[in-house]
Amino acid sequence: MESFDRSMIGGVLKKHGNDGASLIAILRDVQGECGYLPKEVLQYVSQKLDVPLSKIFCVATFFSSFSLEPRGKNVVSVCSGTACHVKHGGGVADKLTRQLKLSADGKTTADRAFTLEKVRCMGCCSVAPAVRVNQDTYDHVTQDAVNEILKKYGKS
Amino acid sequence: MKVTGRKDLEKLKDKGTASLFPDRVRIMVGMATCCIVKGADKVMSAIAEEVKRQGVRASVVPVGCTGLCYKEPTVEVVQPGKPKITYGDITLDRVPQLIEAIAKGMVKKEWALYQTEREEQLVQGGYHAYGRGTPKELKGIPKHSDVPFFRKQRKIILRNSGCINPEKIEEYIARGGYSSLLKTVTQMKPKEVIDEVTKAGLRGRSGGGFPAGIKWLSCSKAEGDGKYVICNVSEGDPGIGMHKSLLESDPHSILEGLIIAAYAIGAKEGYIYISSGYKLGVQRMEKAVKDARACGFLGRNILHSGFDFSVKVKEGGGAYVCGEETALIKSIEGDWGEPRQRPPFPAVSGLWGKPTVINNVETLANVPVIMTKGAKWFSSIGSQKSKGTKVFSLIGEVNRVGLVEVPLGITLKEIIYDIGGGIPRGKAFKAVQMGGPSGGCIPKRLSNLPVDYETLAQAGSAMSSGGLIVMDEKTCMVDVVKYFLTFLEGESCGKCTPCRVGVRRMREVLTDISRGKGKKEDLELLEKMARLIKEGAICNLGKTAPNPFLSMLKYFKDEYLAHIQKKKCPAGVCTS
Amino acid sequence: MVTVKINGKEVQVPKGATVLQAARKLDIHIPTLCYHEALTPYGGCRLCVVAVTRDGATQIVSSCNYEVAEGLEIKTETDVVLDIRKFVIELLLAEAPDAKILKELAQEMGVKPLKRFKPRNELCIACGQCIRACKEIVGVSAIDFAQRGYEKKAASPFFERSQDCIGCGTCYTICPTGAITLKDIAEGEKALLPDGSEVVGPARIIDNWKVGLELKRCKQCGEPFAPQFQLEYFTKKVKLPEDFFEVCVECRTL
Repeated sequence: MESFDRSMIGGVLKKHGNDGASLIAILRDVQGECGYLPKEVLQYVSQKLDVPLSKIFCVATFFSSFSLEPRGKNVVSVCSGTACHVKHGGGVADKLTRQLKLSADGKTTADRAFTLEKVRCMGCCSVAPAVRVNQDTYDHVTQDAVNEILKKYGKS
Repeated sequence: MKVTGRKDLEKLKDKGTASLFPDRVRIMVGMATCCIVKGADKVMSAIAEEVKRQGVRASVVPVGCTGLCYKEPTVEVVQPGKPKITYGDITLDRVPQLIEAIAKGMVKKEWALYQTEREEQLVQGGYHAYGRGTPKELKGIPKHSDVPFFRKQRKIILRNSGCINPEKIEEYIARGGYSSLLKTVTQMKPKEVIDEVTKAGLRGRSGGGFPAGIKWLSCSKAEGDGKYVICNVSEGDPGIGMHKSLLESDPHSILEGLIIAAYAIGAKEGYIYISSGYKLGVQRMEKAVKDARACGFLGRNILHSGFDFSVKVKEGGGAYVCGEETALIKSIEGDWGEPRQRPPFPAVSGLWGKPTVINNVETLANVPVIMTKGAKWFSSIGSQKSKGTKVFSLIGEVNRVGLVEVPLGITLKEIIYDIGGGIPRGKAFKAVQMGGPSGGCIPKRLSNLPVDYETLAQAGSAMSSGGLIVMDEKTCMVDVVKYFLTFLEGESCGKCTPCRVGVRRMREVLTDISRGKGKKEDLELLEKMARLIKEGAICNLGKTAPNPFLSMLKYFKDEYLAHIQKKKCPAGVCTS
Repeated sequence: MVTVKINGKEVQVPKGATVLQAARKLDIHIPTLCYHEALTPYGGCRLCVVAVTRDGATQIVSSCNYEVAEGLEIKTETDVVLDIRKFVIELLLAEAPDAKILKELAQEMGVKPLKRFKPRNELCIACGQCIRACKEIVGVSAIDFAQRGYEKKAASPFFERSQDCIGCGTCYTICPTGAITLKDIAEGEKALLPDGSEVVGPARIIDNWKVGLELKRCKQCGEPFAPQFQLEYFTKKVKLPEDFFEVCVECRTL
């Protein structure tokens, strides 16, 4: 069982006034600190906020921005916006999935090096298709460019 | 400094004016997300360094989106005695030469897109005149008013975008900001504000365009103390970013509109609800709220009017359905985005069961302008039933991609060809998709249609939040519908059977059709499903989900038949 | 009191009543699936839809949660209404073709399974009755919806063994499609929970929430009668004496 920093989570709860109505903001801050939403932390939050754990799990699994699994060292976000789709971004997403050897549902590689996410729109419509890896954004990405991009982050 | 009246506001205005039009060079770098993605942040740092290194007396200022997305990174330079020059495609390697030219008091013609001699000051009226420069140095540089991209645009909502530093409240004030708020709360009664907005004909700038004034009136009359106003900044349409852009470029225009709305309906508390993933926008809006509070535009006894109002910025968790009012409310209450049936309407029973007005970002950005320039002025723009302007995200297969603001009633043809420069690489224009997953397409042969609420609805499309995706002959209409249904399938909240199961099953059939596995009864089945999902779903996500299919079927039935009967994709997109 | 007209007949109901309650007062039948009189209405299945006309405008609404208004006119069997109801059953039949209640509703409405849809065989139709019951009647909230869209279903946190379930079986009783399984196993009998853990009887097994709760034996007759955890929960909640549940209900009454 993983341990977590109680005082840090306590700080998050305090920042939001221990208010159940701020659940989404609380979960966002927890994810910001832990990288994802660990089970033990959610159990603690449920206790402290007096909100049923089933409700917290409901909210955590409803919204796309939350991850209940630890994410990879490198987060690869593929834009699945309309402009990117019209410019054949779907093919780029497929190529990335294949290169990272992820199943259709799988998001993180077994070695936890990469997490692949489809995001809705990064606002890069004029440079579609766009791909972001951590803080770096790549524009006009083609299927052929995928390997080069992944190499930069240690993918052999 | 706290503003207590006109004199204080004038003081801040002077400060802002000095910042906007300094006695030194002002270099403005477009720094909205779409610009940063193209490296604008690195360009800005490089410019600041070069300016220092070359000893140029200049302010380097981040501004919002200029709309010229196809030419990013853009840099605008105001040099004393010269018109404002807008430069495009200023990549890192071009920075030293550009600064060198500025240091010498020259214009770098090769990279200049256009010159602006005078700038409309929309709210306070009149124009700011820049310097005239010399004919020699400006030769060949088109005037802003002659630039095809801008000629048919009309900047009301985007009046400050790209002109001001979005994090400096005094620059917003220098362009007339908060003078509308001052006028409203000190000279007008709430009912008069509602009447003005109603007379102006302001319609909600998302969804079906419900008249804002009527919504405000209904809420102001509703029983219950503790009313709320909420600004909905969660467009969510995959592929458009007008809300994000306005949020990052001119957050105060939204905030001022929200405060005036609160005054009109009698709300003491408000929220600005922003989709998840708009980090920069949240940052800029939180700064705006902080500065507005410090100036006394928020808080107790605003501008000595006796009106109290405070605002919180709330970020969503990532769900398209939370753009729908009742689901948005649930999200603010700390729950999953569960929509519900209406009535009761939020204006009567909304957040925490209290009367709540929820307005779109663009709708609110219009409000300060209406209050100062008047309903008559506003209603003189646009078409008979659709007043004012609308911001569109012009993207896809078009030469000039960007954010454009046009008077309603303009034709699609004008937007695509005159403003957008037509289809690149000599391809044929096929159709334009409007309204995203809730909308429909308008085929080429109908491109003379005026863009307004009624016409679009009649044609089977929708204004929605303003996505305008241009498609050429290489776009497959079956593929596009499959794309939108796939998006909605992932975004359905799952509450009601018609949407949760119906949209999924529709998408499955579309997938079969796209893979050459369609059956001849499929079109009839899909039409029936579309009709019953529209009638049976609880909220507009479900109710509008079948629209792209119905619209594509209306105008491109032959493509569907080709996929089903001949197992062929005419555009060459779908693979089995 | 409020007066409304349903299918041409007038009826008076208290303010705050729903259209469904008004219809039932007139013995007008409207089929339902996610509705239960003991729970707050959800309005999710859309089977109970009707056409209401108010201020000249007509709308399709779910009757279980639409509040009556003076002068409201309701029609419970227009073509559109019937089409939507049939469509709901068609869609749900493809989800859970073996659910008895869906087969009955299909027969009642003359609906046949749509061959075009590949059956899913997921009995949970996301009606939420179990969730609302666990929250409103039992007060435990051990379960809630998880995920969204097509994958939405009732679940225990993390899809793992619920720590809060008291094994009362209300969810099992109330589920309209039989999606929830509950069984009591006898002394020495073994059962494997979906998470791989083994439970030895006497115990109550609820597979859906991965729950296996040891049953307490009555001090007098020796029969297992309720989950130990449940009895501890009630003892603490209602502040009962520690030995209150030593004897089962039958033995107490005899």
